[in-house]
Amino acid sequence: MTPERPIPEVTDVDPESRTEQEGEAQGSAQPGAVPAARARISGQRAEPSANGDTGVQAKRGLSVKLEGLRAFYGAAEQVKGIDLEFRANEVTAIIGPSGCGKSTMIRCINRMHEEIPGAHAQGRVLLEDLDVYDPSVDVVAVRRAVGMVFQKPNPFPTMSVFDNVAAGLRLTSRRRGDLRAKVEAALRGAGLWEEVAERLDEPGAGLSGGQQQRLCIARSLAVNPEVILMDEPCSALDPVATLKIEELIDELKQRVTIVIVTHNMQQAARVADRTAFMLDGLLVEVGPTKEIFTKPGDPRTEEYVTGKFG
Amino acid sequence: MDTHAQGRAHFQAQLKELEANALGGLDLIVEQLDRVLEALHHQDVELAQMVIADDDRVDGRYLEVHQGILSLLALQAPVAGDLRLVAALLHMIKHIERMGDQCVNIAKLIPLSGYEPPVHQEMLDALAKMGAFARSEVVQSKAAFAARDIELAEDLVRQDREINRLNREIFNMAIEIGDDPDRREWAMHMTLVARALERIGDNAVDIGEQVAFVVTGLFREFSDSSRPLGAA
Repeated sequence: MTPERPIPEVTDVDPESRTEQEGEAQGSAQPGAVPAARARISGQRAEPSANGDTGVQAKRGLSVKLEGLRAFYGAAEQVKGIDLEFRANEVTAIIGPSGCGKSTMIRCINRMHEEIPGAHAQGRVLLEDLDVYDPSVDVVAVRRAVGMVFQKPNPFPTMSVFDNVAAGLRLTSRRRGDLRAKVEAALRGAGLWEEVAERLDEPGAGLSGGQQQRLCIARSLAVNPEVILMDEPCSALDPVATLKIEELIDELKQRVTIVIVTHNMQQAARVADRTAFMLDGLLVEVGPTKEIFTKPGDPRTEEYVTGKFG
Repeated sequence: MDTHAQGRAHFQAQLKELEANALGGLDLIVEQLDRVLEALHHQDVELAQMVIADDDRVDGRYLEVHQGILSLLALQAPVAGDLRLVAALLHMIKHIERMGDQCVNIAKLIPLSGYEPPVHQEMLDALAKMGAFARSEVVQSKAAFAARDIELAEDLVRQDREINRLNREIFNMAIEIGDDPDRREWAMHMTLVARALERIGDNAVDIGEQVAFVVTGLFREFSDSSRPLGAA
């Protein structure tokens, strides 16, 4: 299992066929709350807006609903049937002791779990009303709609800052100028532009740890995700870099839905609108963060957040 | 469930110690109350002076617990039930400090009437009853908090009603005490004593309300203090 491995977002998709699909999407776009997402997840591409807007600033997040989600590593069941909704444009923190299935659960949302040999998931993961496990969906498109940031910053080590962000866009952008604008928008979105504007051609690996993590966030943002999953994004960072990421999370939720796995209870308390507590592959409790940390409903949550076990 | 009692053993020990210190503050109040009521009964000016001097002990306890709470918040970031307890202790120690001040207020009134004041026995008896109720409330608020016993905490309201009733009674006695200026002055002082005892009762009820908060996470007033209390 290599959780730090970046997703080769578009490299396995033929750009020619994408252009054709875009045409289809235009003609057959279904009405509804999320036509763009629907088109994307079902393997089609939504048309960029006419004014050339990258959409990074204006996008709205989507809700994610888990229904009876179970996840297995071979025969071992790690997630044992979870029903949980991550509300659109909210930050939901997942807390729980090591090995409780937090990371496995969120990796089911963008179908990364199944990349591990022998691993599979059951149940439904609904992005609004679209089941990402439906046989007709394009897995690559799911991962574009649901970006992921990992514990350890993982920029492509040989690529420049610019190329790191552009990696997912290269094959889909028609014009170089368009690409530059999108990279800048993504870097601005990740709060990194001011720090790297003069260093775009330098290796991404040369940035500080906190900057590298924001670079990875920029890389996720560049492909216009509706949801960003964060798996302990600050655990390798110092307090100042952590604070910057936390402030960024607060800004990003205006545009995307965020699910963050964290072992840092205070971080969950600081950044999350809602907090879910997991134990032994099951959801114990989910509620407004303020309630989870002042008056949890379940005694097991109380014991965990007060540090009596875990 | 995989429970490790040792999870935050040091923190839990600190929290326990803090609670014991705060609850010990209520014992100090009982001592102060006993002495000031005795001073009142015997018009013992020297004992009243001791009560005033010993308020430093109550204030010292307040500072000690307050500092302990600040440290715990800063260093241990308590949450959930622990956080509610810390918040309740912060309230409690403030109430204890105020009760201490009320004992001082009573003690300061004692010498004002001289060594042989023109007492009105019925009024003194009512004050003694009030004092007994106030003492009982302080003791009961401590027991209720230590045991997290909401029922016992709510029972404080029943005793507090008696205190309020006696307070009104004393006020009425003062109004009808007669024309003698010395006696009227003494009676005025006694209404202030009654008022101080009534406030001690209220503070005990407030501590009782914190018991309910610690247990349930919800704050509610046991009685509506905005209701008019007659002459009081």
